[in-house]
Amino acid sequence: MDLLTTSVATVESAGEPYTLVELVGEADVTNSDALRDVLDAEVAKEPRTLIIDLSGLRFMDSSALHVILRANRAMDRLGGVLSLAGPREPVAKMLRLTAADQLVPVYPTVSEASAG
Amino acid sequence: MADSPVQFPEPASRGWPAPASASDAAYLSYRTDLSPVRALVLSRARAAGLPEDRVTDLVLAVSEVAANTLRHTRSAGTLTVWHDADEIVCEVHDAGIITDPRAGQVKPGLDAPGGHGLWLVNQVCDRVELTSGADGTTVRMRMTLPPARARG
Repeated sequence: MDLLTTSVATVESAGEPYTLVELVGEADVTNSDALRDVLDAEVAKEPRTLIIDLSGLRFMDSSALHVILRANRAMDRLGGVLSLAGPREPVAKMLRLTAADQLVPVYPTVSEASAG
Repeated sequence: MADSPVQFPEPASRGWPAPASASDAAYLSYRTDLSPVRALVLSRARAAGLPEDRVTDLVLAVSEVAANTLRHTRSAGTLTVWHDADEIVCEVHDAGIITDPRAGQVKPGLDAPGGHGLWLVNQVCDRVELTSGADGTTVRMRMTLPPARARG
């Protein structure tokens, strides 16, 4: 089984549809290129809202965080919003330590993220 | 780039292998996969009685240092973990050469392409010792253990 699996869905919510990228496993330097490719492909479709579900992520290192912040900047430029949902403690701690949680909105759940 | 590596101060306690007084050391070589590196640190740190939030910190620190091995070298790195009554130590060695003696001391901007790893290591560990020279780079990360009677 792969260390990190990613799945992408377009969710039709009551409000606007949004793109949901779900990450499961461990995100680190060994798979950050693959993660970048997945996020680049979704950002290129210029969704209004891109939510990354982190609830299934057991670990995230600075390489993976860098890729997410890169996607966040790209979404900013395109006038969209990237948000993060459901980080568990090792991942939440990484977001706090680097102050990435000051740059990117972080919500407890995907539904809260989609409600903005 | 400098032609020769900067000489770092030698940590006072540097020695190889692990001190004889320490509990049995665990040793792991890694080259492509860091998941076993994190798993070894997790199990050893829990067994040594390190509190869970500090276990998370140590796993993050060791993973960041080991990630540098994959980024900057083409050879395997080694992880050695041991503990005594007072502290748990994770030592990572690889063939890389760090030329900036202040590496990890200054927080890089969030937009910077790299350099967060060693900075994070310095944030979360109780003590960090780094030596780098012609024979590669060694980083020792230390966490103080709670008194034995205070452990769950």
